[in-house]
Amino acid sequence: MMRLLRVCPTVLRQIIRSPIRSALTVIGISVAMYLFVSVEAMREGVHTATQVQAGDTTLVVYRENRFCPFSSRLPQFYGDRIERLEGVNSVVPMQIHVSNCRASLDVVTFRGVPRDELGTALASGGKITDGSVAAWERRGDAAVVGEALAARRGVRVGDRFSAAGITVFVAGILETDHPQDRNIAWVHLPFLQEAARRGGTGGLVTQFNVAVDEPAHLEAVASEIDALFRHDEHPTATRPERAFVGRAARDIVELVDFAGLLAWGALAAVFALIANAIVLAMRDRLRDHAVLQTLGFSGPLIAWMVLVEGATLGLVGGLLGAIGAFATVRVGHFSLTMEGLNIEIASGWSAPLVGIAAALALGVLAAIVPALRLARRDIASCFRAV
Amino acid sequence: MALIECRHLTRTYKRGAEAITPLQDLDLDIEAGAFVALMGPSGSGKTTLLNLLAGIDRPTAGTLSVAGSPVHTLARGELARWRSTHVGYIFQLYNLIPVLTAYENVELPLLLQPMSRSERHARVAAALEAVSISDRHAHYPRQLSGGQEQRVAIARAIVTEPSILLADEPTGDLDRATATSMMELLARLNAEQGRTIVMVTHDPRTTEWADTVLHLEKGKLVEQAVGGAA
Ligand SMILES: Nc1ncnc2c1ncn2[C@@H]1O[C@H](COP(=O)(O)OP(=O)(O)OP(=O)(O)O)[C@@H](O)[C@H]1O
Ligand SMILES: [Mg+2]
Repeated sequence: MMRLLRVCPTVLRQIIRSPIRSALTVIGISVAMYLFVSVEAMREGVHTATQVQAGDTTLVVYRENRFCPFSSRLPQFYGDRIERLEGVNSVVPMQIHVSNCRASLDVVTFRGVPRDELGTALASGGKITDGSVAAWERRGDAAVVGEALAARRGVRVGDRFSAAGITVFVAGILETDHPQDRNIAWVHLPFLQEAARRGGTGGLVTQFNVAVDEPAHLEAVASEIDALFRHDEHPTATRPERAFVGRAARDIVELVDFAGLLAWGALAAVFALIANAIVLAMRDRLRDHAVLQTLGFSGPLIAWMVLVEGATLGLVGGLLGAIGAFATVRVGHFSLTMEGLNIEIASGWSAPLVGIAAALALGVLAAIVPALRLARRDIASCFRAV
Repeated sequence: MALIECRHLTRTYKRGAEAITPLQDLDLDIEAGAFVALMGPSGSGKTTLLNLLAGIDRPTAGTLSVAGSPVHTLARGELARWRSTHVGYIFQLYNLIPVLTAYENVELPLLLQPMSRSERHARVAAALEAVSISDRHAHYPRQLSGGQEQRVAIARAIVTEPSILLADEPTGDLDRATATSMMELLARLNAEQGRTIVMVTHDPRTTEWADTVLHLEKGKLVEQAVGGAA
């Protein structure tokens, strides 16, 4: 059916040569799709950060009933006892220090780890692209900075930067696909314990990150750890890392679920915009369509032209909105941080692609009814109606 | 056998309970190469007849055959295909597509036919040349005068080289001089290209170019006069 293709330039001319109407429609669609793609990227980010996934092997040991790094305190020697448990590969004691404990878009989180533990702590798929672990080990105030944090703050190796009253020297940039690690500054544990002024105790940490040998052992090891300290002065609550993030960020999770309604609203707006544009165009072109039919254009062919028009409007608006949202997320490196944990807004292709496909589908959908009605219209009466 | 044969051609419109029959039991033969002028008072069914001949409306009863094929039996889709190759329709109000240039308007009917771009270009150029409007090919309808628009519309009607040209008051909106040149153009297409023309007109002066004048009254042919130069 080559004629289906041959009429496409005519449809494009109809769109382009009503520039004001087309532009208004496309702008409306792209704004709505911008909203949709942004919300979807946020939802995707929250989902990735908070839903335990099949290959996860990291547990977080926290003080029971404590929800902020400032109030979770555990004796550092717990680490040795945890390490002796069956199925535990490694234990990294961590001091967490944040510039802001509330939900916020720009929080700097410091994680203090013992000098010889940085390699282990970073082992989960990260690599240092600039600087080195050796450089970090040499200086007491050194920090290895996650790429997202480095990009947001615009710092490089050799720079100093301050947050939450602590000044550190950047000894390395960490590239990783682990969302928690991308937004973190890794520093020396004693340095952070001192800087955070926990009474100079040195023996207290915020949490332990425990790597288990197999994803299947996650739950069992977690219960064992909690059983170990149940009657201790500092009972623990151990969770898979993503579940830990999900609990800490439950407000955000709820908020983002609610924002999902906005995404549906944006889709409805796109549908309404395209349907409106098509219906108005059809009314305008009543005579044109009758003329086309007189020339021998069949009803289905004209219906096809209307569908192409709806699809084009949807596609162009969807592309603009999705590219805009994609660029915003990419350039902005947004991450929501709460209680020292990060939820990154997904900057991958999936949300924009879903957005573009949705806009295209809505364009076709919105044009179907007008197209079918048009295809069935009686030509002779069209000329009388206008 | 005549090119167009109407037998007992009837068209009835139902409007609620009442039925209007603008065309009743019409018998008509039109020979290939004829130039027929169709006259009659307003509401006598001229446009109704023309629409039936053009295949954009279908008879309630009776038969219509064109070049031997029974047009009244064709389904919607077949009828559309038949229209695209057999008839060219010229309207009183030109009915060009406003967002398309003269060239693009004339090109429209060719989009339905399997044809290369260059072949299409050659056909459009020839049609525009035949109506002497080549120099305005890039203009939009709003940039053309009524006479020029009608020339473009005629080019669009002849570009597929149909055997039949149907025109509904083609000079109804034009001044005398322009109407005359339009009639000369139609007469030339009739004489030189051998196109059969059926033209509805209210203007007796335009009938002098036709070789047959038909009078329609209340859906029936009342007389059949032979006109021409005399
Ligand atoms: N689709 C339709 N529905 C109902 N009635 C119709 C329809 N088409 C035509 N008619 C009626 O049929 C009659 C003949 O109409 P037609 O348009 O054929 O007349 P005409 O001879 O072309 O008139 P005019 O010279 O004014 O153009 C009119 O009474 C008209 O109202
Ligand atoms: Mg009429």
